[in-house]
Amino acid sequence: MNRRQERGITTRDVVLVALFAAIIVALGLVPPITVGIVPVPITLQTLGVMLAGAVLGPVRGALACGLVVLLTAVGLPVLAGGRGGLGVFAGPTGGYLVGWIPGALVTGLMVKYWAAKLTRGWAKAGAVLAACVAGGIVVVYALGIPWLSVSSGLPLREAALGGMVFVPGDLIKAVAAALVAHGVARSYSMELK
Amino acid sequence: MTAPAGPAPGAAPGERPSAAEAPAPVIELHGVSVGYDGRTVLSGLDLRLAERRIGVIGQNGSGKSTLARLLNGLVVPDEGRVLVDGRDTRTDGRRVRSEVGFVFQNPDNQIVFPIVAEDMAFGLKNLGLPKKEIPGRVAEALESFGIGHLAERHSHLLSGGEKQLVALASVMVMRPRTVVFDEPTTLLDLRNRNRIRDAVDAMAPAAVVVTHDLELVSGYDRVLVVHEGGIAFDGAPGEAVAWYREHCS
Amino acid sequence: MNTSLYVPGDTPLHRLPAGAKFGVLFAAGIGLFLLAHPAVLGAAAAVAAALVLSARAPLGALRARLLPVGVMLAVLFAATALLQDAGTAVAMLLRLAALILLALAVTLTTRPADLLEFFERLTAPLARVGVANPERISLGVSLVLRFVPEVFRRFQEIREAQAARGLKANPVALLVPLIVRTLKAADDVADAIDARCYPPPRRPSGGARTEENAT
Repeated sequence: MNRRQERGITTRDVVLVALFAAIIVALGLVPPITVGIVPVPITLQTLGVMLAGAVLGPVRGALACGLVVLLTAVGLPVLAGGRGGLGVFAGPTGGYLVGWIPGALVTGLMVKYWAAKLTRGWAKAGAVLAACVAGGIVVVYALGIPWLSVSSGLPLREAALGGMVFVPGDLIKAVAAALVAHGVARSYSMELK
Repeated sequence: MTAPAGPAPGAAPGERPSAAEAPAPVIELHGVSVGYDGRTVLSGLDLRLAERRIGVIGQNGSGKSTLARLLNGLVVPDEGRVLVDGRDTRTDGRRVRSEVGFVFQNPDNQIVFPIVAEDMAFGLKNLGLPKKEIPGRVAEALESFGIGHLAERHSHLLSGGEKQLVALASVMVMRPRTVVFDEPTTLLDLRNRNRIRDAVDAMAPAAVVVTHDLELVSGYDRVLVVHEGGIAFDGAPGEAVAWYREHCS
Repeated sequence: MNTSLYVPGDTPLHRLPAGAKFGVLFAAGIGLFLLAHPAVLGAAAAVAAALVLSARAPLGALRARLLPVGVMLAVLFAATALLQDAGTAVAMLLRLAALILLALAVTLTTRPADLLEFFERLTAPLARVGVANPERISLGVSLVLRFVPEVFRRFQEIREAQAARGLKANPVALLVPLIVRTLKAADDVADAIDARCYPPPRRPSGGARTEENAT
């Protein structure tokens, strides 16, 4: 069918970005889920960040996260636990939030230009998982930890060690994100953008 | 909670007095074919639509929803042309959409702003209406559907029937010359279905109503039956419904 | 979700324009990191606390905002004191407290719409070269606010349906249908937006005109 084509960002892109941002916000409203192995309850919001990149693609994924960051900045309680406002950026964990934007971008780039081109099922699944780990963990921490260090005066090394507490939970989220992305791709095929 | 049906929708004082008599725009389809994923949905359609009330009936997957979207350029044909008063939907889509309104099946996906009044104002802003004229137009349109009290409500807290009326009002506020409906009553209970039916019957612009609801189109000027990608029957409502019952059920 | 963290009022901070408040906060964000003297930082924190109180927000709201931050700061204070020294820890605590309170004062006294408009003006140069599009950003913001309750409702429906079939809450089984349904809805939403003649006609070009309108 010949839907009207526009160059660049279409109305549909704007809607996809906004609806995914809405999913990320809604995931913050879900009570944290406790997973058997880890004693720490995990919130699903960062799972949404990985999914934004993996499902929508790099540009739209990053824009979806950017929209959530913007809503946080203007004072809406869009983060897990009803947090929001400029204080989030002033605080020691602001870097993790800002890191969502490049994080979703990197996940999206890896899925679009690498994982999506693989044909064997297990190789593709592994690549999507690697993309979620790289974008949703490595990139996010790469902004989060230095920000924490500067903000708190902790040396970078100690800040990094402290940040490791969250790695097990985030790894589980990356696995879940890869499984969800796989499930979504099976029932709704969409070009990555 | 639903409000009592208000005064005749679309005919409120302050509406353009000529609206009720304004002729429907002429919509012409010339050799229109549309496919999707290599499958033909509609093929070789030639139609001229100018009546004030036109019904379109057909089974699921018959292509009637695609036909509806052709009329305002939401879908443009792979082959052939669709002209609205001579304007090609392919090249002049935005202009066509300012005259041909569209009401969707699911109002949840049609109301795009968190507050009802904001949603009503959206179309007017898109038409480039001066800011100071917008609140008056919005209030007037809500009143004409008897839902003035919903103006400051949150969209997601409305009932199903209220949502469909808001969706209809948000199209009517733009004063289109004709309105295309894509199964407007499918998701509604009987009471709300009747409210929408009455609203459509009473409104000033012309209407093309795509529906499963055979009774809805019984008083219309003309009814088309879409079947297997073409127009299988075209005529008076009674005969069209009879043809549909015989061949499609 | 439909309630913002903004608290309506008519205090001097409320009356200050969003841009001025944001500018002070931004300057403080840099300035406070250049200072290390505990007395100066302490004074800054005291001023920030006074500003928060001047916003006359209900105490319950303040407690809800500040309690989680307080816990986090306490943990950081302990860690810094142990790993570094008490002096650094005190400076960190006062500096962050000042900054977070100042940011809270801005958030409490500034309508989200005003901040959004300020950010739009800030990015106007980007918009002029076509990188950002304020029209789309404001549509995106409205769509998020419109659809968060719908997405959350869908989430609960799916969870209930799965619980009724005896399935345990499983993020993967929940999220796949939620995302698929949302992506499918996106096509309809985009059609509905286009059907109502989006985007609005372009304003007469020229930055000067836009600036006049913005102020």
